[in-house]
Amino acid sequence: MWSREGPDLGAALGREALAYIDTLHNTARYLTGNDADAEDLVQETYARALGAAAQFTPGTNLKAWLFRILRNTFISLYRRQRRNPIVGGLDTVDPTAQGPADEVWLRDDVELDRLQNVVAEEIEKAMMSLSEEAREVILLDLEGLTEVEVADVLGCAVGTVKSRLARARAALRQQLKDYAR
Amino acid sequence: MDCQDVRSQLLDYQRGRLKPGPRGEIRAHLEGCAACARAEEAEQALSELLERRLPQHPASLALKRRLAAQWPSRPPVRGSWWSRWGRSLVPAFAVAVVLLVAMPLYYDQGRVRQATGTPSMVGEAVNDHLRLLTSQHPLEVESGGIHQVKPWFTGRIDFAPVVSFAGDQEFPLQGGAIGYYLDRKAAVFVYKRRLHTISLLVFRAEGLPWPSRGLETMGSVRAYSTVARGFNVVLWRAGELGYALVSDLDSRELLALAGKLSGAS
Repeated sequence: MWSREGPDLGAALGREALAYIDTLHNTARYLTGNDADAEDLVQETYARALGAAAQFTPGTNLKAWLFRILRNTFISLYRRQRRNPIVGGLDTVDPTAQGPADEVWLRDDVELDRLQNVVAEEIEKAMMSLSEEAREVILLDLEGLTEVEVADVLGCAVGTVKSRLARARAALRQQLKDYAR
Repeated sequence: MDCQDVRSQLLDYQRGRLKPGPRGEIRAHLEGCAACARAEEAEQALSELLERRLPQHPASLALKRRLAAQWPSRPPVRGSWWSRWGRSLVPAFAVAVVLLVAMPLYYDQGRVRQATGTPSMVGEAVNDHLRLLTSQHPLEVESGGIHQVKPWFTGRIDFAPVVSFAGDQEFPLQGGAIGYYLDRKAAVFVYKRRLHTISLLVFRAEGLPWPSRGLETMGSVRAYSTVARGFNVVLWRAGELGYALVSDLDSRELLALAGKLSGAS
């Protein structure tokens, strides 16, 4: 699977790249929804990373660079085949606007308490019900990437990251509301 | 600043990304606005829920093994005499030049030895952390608490690692393993913070080029913190033992853990 000039380029990239395999696989699993596709996606990501190793600038954020490759690979291999659970993009709505259901939820302190009792499976289910766009921005944020790095991974402006993240988290809260009863 | 302005900046506020001015304005607004205060609580609750309870899906051992076996580790040596021998002499020339320049300084100023040796300590700490991350069996003992992890080292290393911080909700202890730090064995304790893995290496401190400059007081010890290859590293010594803490975690949070460890150790 490696390119002919792989050894030179791989050495240039360093074995540090392999240190991110768990975190890349976790994101891949949430994007694809199953282990087999996630493994293929991670394997293809590393193959492409090796092929593009000459383009990596040492000293820059290797993790963010790998996430960008993972995301681009996912788009080219999987996203076109898949159904998007939420109609409409996250960028189409004013991120600061609070939906009516959200307002109701926030008014109710009891709901906030119940949220503490949501179990892991329900969070995963709620995540998987979101659009891939929402899932990826939540996961990248959770990975500790800065907004600038997330913007670089997603190929959009920092302001767009802010608004996507706000909409994605609002959508997730809305989903979790159903479990927090 | 109205409610809409505040809501749009709540995440930045919670993650300490705002400058003192806007941060103070938001804090003041939250104290006087019950609706925004609840929105802030909701954001916080969601962050904690995701960080603590979202199931993680690490790569399978088979995939790790496959990628590790296929990932090239060093370029092949081919080509002309110069590329085979000439290049290998460059480090020797470089070492000779460094010695010529550094030796007089060494005798003039004893600190130089420590300053030039410190990068090797930092580099080794990062290498150990990476070895742990890429290992197919990173933890040799899974944590059932510090009182299960510490006794496990007995008989496996030639010292007793002093680590009194048992982990907490913020930094749960995951387990331990035996590692090598430069020329000696090390007890490796692994903590977690959200999705970040943190390695604490404990080893015998004597005979190492400990840094003597740029130290910060941290609890009862003086610590050296730096960044290497994108990882934050904190080094300190307490008595006969040395400590190296490494992670890709934010430096502020890593120092908070170092504080807990050094205060207790």
